[in-house]
Amino acid sequence: MAEPAYTVASDSETTGEEKSSSPFPEIAIGIDIGTSQCSVAVWNGSQVELLRNTRNQKLMRSYVTFKDEIPAGGVSNQLAHEYEMLSGAAIFNMKRLIGRVDTDPVIHTSKSLPFLVQTLNIGVRPFIAALVKNMWRSTTPEEVLAIFLVELRAMAEVQLKRPVRTVVLTIPVSFSRFQITRIERACAMAGLQVLRLMPEPTAVALLYAQQQQQNVHDNMGSGTEKIALIFNMGAGFCDTAVTATAGGVSHIKALAGSVLGGEDILLNTMRHLLPDMDSHFSIRGIDEIRKMGLLRVATQDAIHKLSSQSNVQINVDFGNGRKISKVLDRGEFEEVNRGIFEKCESLIKQCLHDAKVEVDDINDVILVGGCSNIPKLRNIITSVCKKELYDGINPLEAAVRGAALEGAVASGVNDPFGSLDLLTIQATPHSIGVRADGNNLIPIIHQNTTMPIRRDLIFTTVHDNQTEALIVVYEGDEKEVEKNHLLGYFKITGIPPVARGVPEINVCLDIDAANVLRAFAGVVMPGGQNPAAPVMEVRMPTVDDGHGWCAEALNRTYGSTLDLVTVQKKAAH
Amino acid sequence: MLAPSSFHHQISTPNPLQINQHCNFRKPIWRRQKSVVRCSQNKLGGTKNYYELLGVSIDASPQEIKNAYRKLQKKYHPDIAGEEGHERTLTLNEAYKVLIRDELRKEYDASIGRIGAGVGRGGFGSIWKGPLRPQALFVDENSCIGCRECVHHASNTFMMNEAFGTARVKVQYGDDDGKIETSVDSCPVNCIHWVNTEELPVLEYLIQPRPKPGYGIYGQGWERPADVFMAAQSFSKQLKQQEENQQKYAQSSNEEEETPAQAQARESAYRELKMENFARIWSWIKKSNTGQ
Repeated sequence: MAEPAYTVASDSETTGEEKSSSPFPEIAIGIDIGTSQCSVAVWNGSQVELLRNTRNQKLMRSYVTFKDEIPAGGVSNQLAHEYEMLSGAAIFNMKRLIGRVDTDPVIHTSKSLPFLVQTLNIGVRPFIAALVKNMWRSTTPEEVLAIFLVELRAMAEVQLKRPVRTVVLTIPVSFSRFQITRIERACAMAGLQVLRLMPEPTAVALLYAQQQQQNVHDNMGSGTEKIALIFNMGAGFCDTAVTATAGGVSHIKALAGSVLGGEDILLNTMRHLLPDMDSHFSIRGIDEIRKMGLLRVATQDAIHKLSSQSNVQINVDFGNGRKISKVLDRGEFEEVNRGIFEKCESLIKQCLHDAKVEVDDINDVILVGGCSNIPKLRNIITSVCKKELYDGINPLEAAVRGAALEGAVASGVNDPFGSLDLLTIQATPHSIGVRADGNNLIPIIHQNTTMPIRRDLIFTTVHDNQTEALIVVYEGDEKEVEKNHLLGYFKITGIPPVARGVPEINVCLDIDAANVLRAFAGVVMPGGQNPAAPVMEVRMPTVDDGHGWCAEALNRTYGSTLDLVTVQKKAAH
Repeated sequence: MLAPSSFHHQISTPNPLQINQHCNFRKPIWRRQKSVVRCSQNKLGGTKNYYELLGVSIDASPQEIKNAYRKLQKKYHPDIAGEEGHERTLTLNEAYKVLIRDELRKEYDASIGRIGAGVGRGGFGSIWKGPLRPQALFVDENSCIGCRECVHHASNTFMMNEAFGTARVKVQYGDDDGKIETSVDSCPVNCIHWVNTEELPVLEYLIQPRPKPGYGIYGQGWERPADVFMAAQSFSKQLKQQEENQQKYAQSSNEEEETPAQAQARESAYRELKMENFARIWSWIKKSNTGQ
């Protein structure tokens, strides 16, 4: 079992694929990589068990510090003090940074972190670096995550006394498929194969489904359908889901999510305490980083205290006579973060609307995540849903427990007592479609469609004798393509040279239960039964880093010469 | 009164003989008997449609549909059944999506020729003004030339079906007898008939154009029996047989447990309910890829 500590196996995406299919599949472990904290759980044969590190912690800080020759992550490393994490040598918040280009506003808000986040605003990956021996050492969020995952894996292998290869990971609802590929790559670098990726609230939904199932068994309850709203707000993201649960089946009705979390609340509050914070810390010397760390720790501490008391005294001494001494009360704190709380409220309402669920139909309201103690958030949720919060779930362990359950179910484990008689029926968090009719995203699979799903739509050419067409696949719910995430593109060739509007170009998208997206495209001439050109199958996403550039370059090179338009008749479904 | 909900089944059911043959070579002898039973039930239960796929009755409540969907998902979802479950789950999801939404279900019902029980829901057929009378008006839309004479003379009784350019009865006895008399006489092709009231629902049902089975996006269209009166006769005869069969096999059907025969039927339903043209090509490609 003595695994070398840091075998970042390979940077190739294929690593995860090659694995022998043994007759007894191992039970996939569940990992919840939080923006701030991380946990691992596994089905131990009779129930879900959270694994602990050598310091007996179930929840481990998500960070990697590059202080010494060998980077050390929060699984094994012991911080001497919180400030050590804020010295510039440690990279954290990987989950907020991964798979984003330097034009992304989230990257820009991350510039106030103690390590270096530099942007050129040209649509490439940002420059991220840790301060090592007074020098900026560059790294990537994938690398940091991979190092962290290697530690997690080593920890799990020691405890489970078996190799760990397959995992179920929880991800934020708002993650794009491109970001998901970055997560998968980090896993591949750590020698882990991703069995399933679950949007965080759906993992909680599965745990809830199991509890309901158990209740039915124990109390001989009716086992009728229960509608639950789940709201999860951690340090980096907030997500919500509506699920209909009966008989151990959690059917996700709708998902909604946003890149909004405790980090934003923290930043807002820091800015409130020190209004000229940004100019203050624009130069990143050791002294500035230290001051920023002081403010960060003090603010974090104050926010925690405000969950249980109505005001808090904040004292920060920056040295040189500059200090903050202030009493922050809860009302002020809530006012400072009003925008965030309003967004949370609108997310919940939107999710209920998308799920076509009335407030009166909700049976349970579940609030989880690191922000679940904030009184304002609790108020918002209870007042929108007109219901008290469900208290049968540990808000910090719910997601990882759900992931471990899914790991056991999808690994084919059966439980004689029916505890694994579960199923999660997932829905698509975003629409997926292709660019057509000019610069529009024409969705083929809509948001909140039950997975697995296959849908097709017929397009046609815009020019006479157009023999090639470009299929550009986007993910998102905005009308103009630029506002959505580019997933990939490919060319369909061999279209018979005929008048425009005649060839039928059928584009089909298929998402399987493992959330793998495939795009198919074929050409049929009216009256013909067989494809006029070979059918193409392309696994998406195909874009790599710098994808912000791709769409622009495509547009510049080809213009509208390879465009598509939708066929007006309703496609058969 | 006849139950309109079961009308179409006879008509759009594939030849039962074919199914029996199919069962015979697919299944061992001891199952054959059941398969035959299933096939006759199949004849009653409709064609290989979404209802059959989910194993619910055509009048199933949303709750029943949900339960059936969940039960089948637990069996066929790729999380449980592995990769092979993908195609089945796709079809299940599609069926569920359609049947659980009222408007889609109505649309689907219409497309498979099933009209909701009672007037009002499906919106076909005439309604009665005043008490039921032994004789009713019926327009043979096959012969109608769309001259609008009848509508002109008795506008409360007849209406034009603009989509097909033919006249039909909107309200039985919507106008006074004189007006109706004039309108019947005014028809240049004599396509307005007085029929027995008990025959009326069958005739009105049969005269509804229904989609012709097509292949993918091609070859679809609308059709109705050429001689509606002949069709009605044989229809009523089949209906009677069907009822007899239903009684005969009522006790042998077990709602809770899925018999091997039912599984078999569902199996073929999955096959038959394949997506359109393209999906078929793709699944073929997939199959040949995985086969390598």
